[in-house]
Amino acid sequence: MLLPEHDFQKPADLAGTLALLQDGDGEIKLLGGGTDVIFNMRGRLFQPDILLSIKDLPELQQVVELSDGSLSMGAGCRLTDLERHPLILIYPGLVASLRAVASRHVRNMATLGGNLNLDTRCWYTNQAAEWREAKGPCLKTGVDVCHAIKSSKVCVAINASDTAPALIALDASVVLASVDGERTVKLADFYTDDGMHHTVRQSNELVTQIVVPPVQGRMVYIKETARKGNDFAYATIAVWADGQADDCTQIRIVLGSVTMRPVVLHEAAAVIAANGLTDDALEKAVAQVRDELGPLTNLYTPAAYKSRISRSLVTEALQRLRRQ
Amino acid sequence: MKQRQILKLTINGDDYEVLASPRQTLLDVIRDQVGLTGTKEGCTTGSCGVCTVNNDKGEAILSCLTPALEWAGKAITTIEGLENRGELDAIQTAFVEYGAVQCGFCTPGVIMSAKAVLNADSHPDEEAINDGMAGVLCRCTGHIKVKEAIRSVALTGK
Repeated sequence: MLLPEHDFQKPADLAGTLALLQDGDGEIKLLGGGTDVIFNMRGRLFQPDILLSIKDLPELQQVVELSDGSLSMGAGCRLTDLERHPLILIYPGLVASLRAVASRHVRNMATLGGNLNLDTRCWYTNQAAEWREAKGPCLKTGVDVCHAIKSSKVCVAINASDTAPALIALDASVVLASVDGERTVKLADFYTDDGMHHTVRQSNELVTQIVVPPVQGRMVYIKETARKGNDFAYATIAVWADGQADDCTQIRIVLGSVTMRPVVLHEAAAVIAANGLTDDALEKAVAQVRDELGPLTNLYTPAAYKSRISRSLVTEALQRLRRQ
Repeated sequence: MKQRQILKLTINGDDYEVLASPRQTLLDVIRDQVGLTGTKEGCTTGSCGVCTVNNDKGEAILSCLTPALEWAGKAITTIEGLENRGELDAIQTAFVEYGAVQCGFCTPGVIMSAKAVLNADSHPDEEAINDGMAGVLCRCTGHIKVKEAIRSVALTGK
């Protein structure tokens, strides 16, 4: 099946891209590796007026160490190149999340900027157009109805990025550029509780870099899937902490692929930070998990299972962290 | 530009100029315009890998998820590009010897994925083979014989 009609644009540099983002006519969809965007265009979920290719922009390809020891990765870098890069290999949790994405074939195409901006997914909407016609449109496709959670006023499609939880656990930020200049946003604040407008990126902006603080502490990353390769997650978890063994005063626990945004578990983290990684604290932290998860739907697993696997993954990740 | 435009690309070492529309993927151009029908169309969603071709670095990419115009000025290798003056490539010969083909529909994608594994490392270990082959599916015969064929090429070092 041919892609929907659109205008393909590939400016040679960032300035030309930002100008087009500012002034281009109609809806513009940014194209990285295309592994999600082209898939969604085939399903007629995306029908942009302009497909704006940014993958080969020279300004988006650098991986460098900044003067303060932070790591800066260009949004156009391919996942395959990042997971083997010497400056990134020193972040094993990040490497694990990069390697968790789909298959080698997909990672040879997909970009980090693309994975962080990955559109949210829903068991109802992410189907062929003909399939959706049987029951009619939803919030994402133009009406005021959600078929995943009948009473929901907002789109509850799931954020399925594998790298976002790891980068949030590492306290990463993204740099957004527009014709007006740049702004930096913590990745934890980049996502919203609305599956339709799931990031704070404005239509004239582009993620150019991802910045990770210097290496410190310890980290665990787990992606739970039906198959080992080429699969979306049942859930992912990334945990970063300081200290050794039971000793811990700072911790970030992030769950992915369970709801509209990667979920930072503040309450569970507060319990661990106050008590250390003791058996007692682990039990108390896990008991807090469901309250912070948000709406759960049936994508890939039943909703009730997402709540259970979230608790299991928090337990497993904290136990592994304690052994590091 | 919404209209068709001239797309220049290099396939198997030969330069082509075709009229391509933004609506076409690299797969559409390879099969319909250039006429190299060895590369197959499967799921068109990035799950099955039968549309796999190799990029200019010899890596496996999915031609069904690549807009044709994105590939302007670049080079790819398809299954037709592996033979050399009538001689099959070592990986093709190994697939024949080890019976790594059943119905054959996925075979071009499986072989181009295997070729990418060997391009990256002429002696891939088990993990590298699994990593490189996880994105391509054979629904007839499984992956055991495929992996035997890849290992045999790695051992003989052809």
